[in-house]
Amino acid sequence: MGDEQLSEEKINGQVKLVKVDDIDTDQIFHQSLLTIHDPEEIKPHIFGNLPGYQSFGKENNENKIMVVGKNFGKGSTRQQAVTGFLAHKIKAIIGESFGPIYYSNAVNAGLLLIEAPGILEFKMDDNDNLEIDLVNAQISNENTGISMKCNLIPKPVLDIMRAGGLLELGKESNF
Amino acid sequence: MVGFTLVEKIIRKHTESSDEEIYPGNIVWVNLDLVTARDYAGPQVIDLFEKYYLGSETFDNKKIIFTPDCYPYGNDPKHAIDQEKLRVFAKKHDIQLTDLGSGIGSHLLFKRGLSLPGDIVIGADSHYNLLGALGILGQGAGDLMLAFAVKTGKYWIKIPETVKVELKGDYKWPTTVKDLALYVLKQLHEYGITGCSVEFHGEIISRLSIEERVTLCSLITEASGSIGFVAPDQITAEYYKQFNIEIDSISADDDANYSSKIMIDIQDLGLYLACPPHPHNVKPIEDVIGTEINSIVIGSCTNGTTLDFQQAARILKNQKVHPNVRLGLVPATREDFVSLNADGTMTTILEAGGNFFGAGCSTCAKGQYGLTGGKTTVSITTGNRNTQGKIGPGDVYLASPVVAAVAAIEGKIAIPIKEYE
Repeated sequence: MGDEQLSEEKINGQVKLVKVDDIDTDQIFHQSLLTIHDPEEIKPHIFGNLPGYQSFGKENNENKIMVVGKNFGKGSTRQQAVTGFLAHKIKAIIGESFGPIYYSNAVNAGLLLIEAPGILEFKMDDNDNLEIDLVNAQISNENTGISMKCNLIPKPVLDIMRAGGLLELGKESNF
Repeated sequence: MVGFTLVEKIIRKHTESSDEEIYPGNIVWVNLDLVTARDYAGPQVIDLFEKYYLGSETFDNKKIIFTPDCYPYGNDPKHAIDQEKLRVFAKKHDIQLTDLGSGIGSHLLFKRGLSLPGDIVIGADSHYNLLGALGILGQGAGDLMLAFAVKTGKYWIKIPETVKVELKGDYKWPTTVKDLALYVLKQLHEYGITGCSVEFHGEIISRLSIEERVTLCSLITEASGSIGFVAPDQITAEYYKQFNIEIDSISADDDANYSSKIMIDIQDLGLYLACPPHPHNVKPIEDVIGTEINSIVIGSCTNGTTLDFQQAARILKNQKVHPNVRLGLVPATREDFVSLNADGTMTTILEAGGNFFGAGCSTCAKGQYGLTGGKTTVSITTGNRNTQGKIGPGDVYLASPVVAAVAAIEGKIAIPIKEYE
């Protein structure tokens, strides 16, 4: 768990576009698979129920920054819908907005979510190089030279991820 | 100084953060009143606790309850082993466990007076926010959050914006609160309430029972809201008197900071169904009349209470379930089962051809996928999820117990007619 990149102030990665609004947790990881908990077993099933993206589970998207639409991860509480992207070594997910439970599940596991209203209008293609400036809340497309603002990541969220996830933070004495 | 909304008031009572830090969008730590886990995610919570905090005590074993409810007796030995894990951990740490057949965890918390208005409680159930019906800040949480909470009693929350929703008007039978809930879901989904807390206001609210309020608040998740609240009132106070509990009054300040205020006209509201493939795809019954239905389940945390079965029985009395239909019934809690047995509702439904199953979750829970039928089965459930592929491979409609019961008799979606009464 955790991501060494978060000790840095900037994150870089290639774009993986999944420009679909309202992707729910059953489309990310179907409920018929809920007895599966091993990250490597979850991995091939990611987006298995999302038309147009069923092959995602078998693709290599390591170290990429995924870009999604609004309300990503709505639906159930299932942690597998987060675990699967960590198993794929997705560096961060940028979205118009996220389902509230998904947001917390992701933060707790150390998967960085960036809320960026307007991201779907931001000009970018698959495999463009993005840079996310965590301190200044800015996303830049290095291929086009264009930048946009994103929402500032709350400090408690960064603290949890720097601890290596919520459970590591729970070992600290002040908790 | 601007006042606080209901959710901000509750958070404020549970945090060491200052008033200046209580504003929408900010993230604060809160101290929990209750942490629960069930046979979905609960076993993973235990595994995580034992992996990260081996040898540690829980933060307070009297503030933890395990509520296995997803599938009484399971359809897979894996579920039985998951449920066993809860029992073993509960015994080791002296934690209360409401075992199989007791009912849905979220419902047991209010049916047994285990959680009070103004409390903050989390569980591995995305419909825990239905507790907002009693002014309880209930939230669904994942296994990491729950394992951390079992150890520390703490939880971080992103303070939601609050939308004030005024329900204007009234409706009458055969329209029930599920039609209201579906109609409100449609409106709020279109309006957009992602991550928001909703406060329901309006004269109608003061006439809704606790059970009806639960139905209304249970669909906020399907509009991607954080929670829907009914501020505790006389009805809430009366409800808790059965447990000899005097509740604290808690309400939004008059000058509370709402992100928006909307009015929804519900005068003479008709009957509504959520049509495939999404809960928010809500249509008036007139649009889908005649759709053949062959599997019906009345139950779930949205419509599994005594009142829901009484309303179904009102339709099913002296009628027969259509030969092409299977009608399953799953009361939310054992307490509902006892009430249904005592007042003859169960007999009425059994005589009509309904088939009762043990109290607990139904259709949308883990372990129940496909139990309504295969690809050719078109279902109605009184639940809250009909996302394609969620309940089973076929189409699923969501409706009130009344609409479900009429379809059970007719074998198709139909408008209730007088003769049923």
